[in-house]
Amino acid sequence: MTRLALKIVGAQGQGVNSVGEMCAKGLKRSGYCVFGYREYMSLIKGGHSSYQLDISADGVRSSAERVDIVVTFNHHGLEKNLRDLKKGGILLHQTPQWKFRNAEDQTFIAEQGIRVIEMPTEAILKKLKAKPILGNVLITSVVWSLLGQPQEQLHELVREQFGHKKDLLEMNFACIAEGFAACKVIAPGIALSLSTTDPQWKDRLLLTGSQAMGLGIIHAGCRVYVGYPMTPSSPLLTFIADMQNETKMAVKQAEDEITAAQMMVGAMHMGTRAITATSGGGFDLMTETLSLTGITETPAVFVLAQRPGPGTALPTWTAQGDLLLAVGSGHGEFARLVLAVSDAQDCFDLMPEAFNYAEEFQIPVIVLTDKQIAEALFTQPKFNQAVAKLRRGALVTSLKELASLQSSDRYDPSAPDGVSKRWVPGMQAAVFCAQGDEHSADGSVSEESENARSQMEKRLKKIEALKQALPEPLYIGPKNPETLLVSWGSNRGVILDVLESAEIKKQSIGYLHYQYLWPIKTQSFEMLSRTAKRTIFVECNHGGQLAELLKLSSGRDATQHILKFDGRPFFYEELRDRVLSALKS
Amino acid sequence: MKNPSASSGPSMHDYASANPCTWCDGCGDYGIWTAVKRALVELKFQPWQVLLCYDVGCHGNMSDKIGGYRFHGLHGRVIPLAAGAALANPSIPVMAFGGDGASFSEGVGHLVHAIRSNYRMTFVMHNNANYGLTTGQASALTWQDQKMNSSPNGMPESTLNSMDFVFSLQPTFVARGWSGDISQMTKILTAAIRHRGFAYVDMLQACPSYNKFATHEWLLERCYDANAEGHDPKNFEKARALAVDTQKRVATGILYQTEDAPAFHERLKAREGLKTTPVEEVRIVDTSVWEKGFM
Repeated sequence: MTRLALKIVGAQGQGVNSVGEMCAKGLKRSGYCVFGYREYMSLIKGGHSSYQLDISADGVRSSAERVDIVVTFNHHGLEKNLRDLKKGGILLHQTPQWKFRNAEDQTFIAEQGIRVIEMPTEAILKKLKAKPILGNVLITSVVWSLLGQPQEQLHELVREQFGHKKDLLEMNFACIAEGFAACKVIAPGIALSLSTTDPQWKDRLLLTGSQAMGLGIIHAGCRVYVGYPMTPSSPLLTFIADMQNETKMAVKQAEDEITAAQMMVGAMHMGTRAITATSGGGFDLMTETLSLTGITETPAVFVLAQRPGPGTALPTWTAQGDLLLAVGSGHGEFARLVLAVSDAQDCFDLMPEAFNYAEEFQIPVIVLTDKQIAEALFTQPKFNQAVAKLRRGALVTSLKELASLQSSDRYDPSAPDGVSKRWVPGMQAAVFCAQGDEHSADGSVSEESENARSQMEKRLKKIEALKQALPEPLYIGPKNPETLLVSWGSNRGVILDVLESAEIKKQSIGYLHYQYLWPIKTQSFEMLSRTAKRTIFVECNHGGQLAELLKLSSGRDATQHILKFDGRPFFYEELRDRVLSALKS
Repeated sequence: MKNPSASSGPSMHDYASANPCTWCDGCGDYGIWTAVKRALVELKFQPWQVLLCYDVGCHGNMSDKIGGYRFHGLHGRVIPLAAGAALANPSIPVMAFGGDGASFSEGVGHLVHAIRSNYRMTFVMHNNANYGLTTGQASALTWQDQKMNSSPNGMPESTLNSMDFVFSLQPTFVARGWSGDISQMTKILTAAIRHRGFAYVDMLQACPSYNKFATHEWLLERCYDANAEGHDPKNFEKARALAVDTQKRVATGILYQTEDAPAFHERLKAREGLKTTPVEEVRIVDTSVWEKGFM
């Protein structure tokens, strides 16, 4: 696989993201698969941030650790991001008369053959009498020229953005012409070679995991969204809110996460589909409500977008440290489903499933995502609109059946699999109480021992039934692999890329990927890991939380772990090398 | 709002429950319980047409002593639970019941935002000025210096002036009843349920076991019907002054009401003109039309 990586760095607020997104769009339209990755700090202006694009005509789902070109908006990037470059890489900057004073930097540049190119941005803008913001287009056009991409395509992109403002559009065109001309002067004979294009990518969508999840939520028939801002769940709130005039969804930014969770539950109780999303700290606040839904048997869907903890920790970075939180949160024992999305496809496909399982089993469902998925940019085939089905389980809607209901049908302890009939306020039927206290079949408070035992058994019976209904984890690889990789969530993209690398391809490696994490299916895992020479868990946390769950449920102990817990996702070469060294042990 | 019930309305019997009441002798909850049922009957709502949401506290033990669809949730969280329900189906009258402990300590933030959001719901604040179910601890509305369970030297904090607080939030409906006057409570609740947005109803109630200061007799002596004395509920300033001043007499009745402010669900521009509620809109939605923006 031929891949090329481009990293745009600068101060937050300088336009790093808009240049990154513009380049991504243009490259995709040219026929490349693009994977975008953002790094930024928890502040609005000034912090150092980056937008990395990994580009390939063969498909790419991960970020490289070392890039082919760094484009820096300010002088900080010259020093901070110099070592992000691979051998022979290009450092494109716009800081006049910049000299590396640090001897180590000078040595690195010399030894690695780094080509430092200065773009006279200020001078050109002055000449054109253009505002500083146009520097973004100017530098993009240099990159475009280096990538050997046509000028017209940049025209098209700026026309889409500024087409309604003629003056601005002309100024943009002038900048593009200057940028292409300048490139010939400042970087003569230098080019970044991209492999040949593949037209299949042109028709694809380019979107973040949050946007894909938003579409998945809309697709699932969710009609009420209640949220409270917290990175990395906020982009989902923003997307859903921005879409409300189209979708006609009821969107509420609540006063806190407890409110968000309670409103979602209240709305679900009435019979609509509602959702809330947050990150670890906000989810902590929601857990009492989570537990409540365990006893009232109200369907509920929580999105838990992970970032590193504990405390505020690294608010704008990624982690997979909340799996055990999702599995164990909320007081008391009750059935729940924990599932994890791993990319844009999952974000769309699994949201209807989250609602379906919530309604079919009348349980809370926790959908795990993380900052990496929420903000990464995926090149994604158009979503298949024909797969999802609306499954609402034991929800009674027919007038005839409603008329025959007894109040005691609601929490009938003899219901098969513990799933009793559910109906909602406004339906002409016998009424019941959705009861947070232990209750008898009609929701009347009961503290009798026999009743408490049978209601607990009724509710917990759902776990086994749910486990039976869930699919086994996804597996790709040979039938009896020598090495079994086991992972979940956002690691999937980088693992799939690594499995296709020349060094790994020839090895006997299988990959077991968990989407549905609790209750956990162990059959495939037990079968594969029993015959494999080694089983390696790949996780972005310190404890190997999936490994712990599988040890608990199957008794099989992981032989090896590849873990990462610095707020960054696994990078391509990094994971490849760690897998290679694990294969040697 | 329109009354969806058939011409023959329900009776008190339709709201009866086989479960025996478990409140103390002389508890104000008996009166409030009766008034709630009477109000729903007078409005001709069948039990299947309403949702009654209960917080945790003595009043919450009403959840299985009454007809209607009910939800008995968490302590301090009944307002957002009911607000979510009201948002999902604005055609169903939603009532929420909570005590002074839940409403002015644990969940006070919810009250603030419910008033400014003006959700279409009735909130009945069972005000017995203490935590009854946990055996008589001081709440934010307990009188200062009162000796309570867990404050043997008297409550050291100052008492929160709940009415001044509520009026500071620009409410659209404020009423006060007291547990000894079922007929007036019924009138208040009827108006509250009909109200366009968030109706705040302060129900002063006797707690014979733990409230030794604002007793049934104390309330009986001081509470008077302000509407009968000519108070105009349209006058915000007068209503506020009347509500706050409880030194000699306690004004009850509908103290303030405006129907000018739209309810929360009416403020959602995205949903303007829709004839359906979110409950009726659940179906798999084709999103391909919105995918074009990502090409």
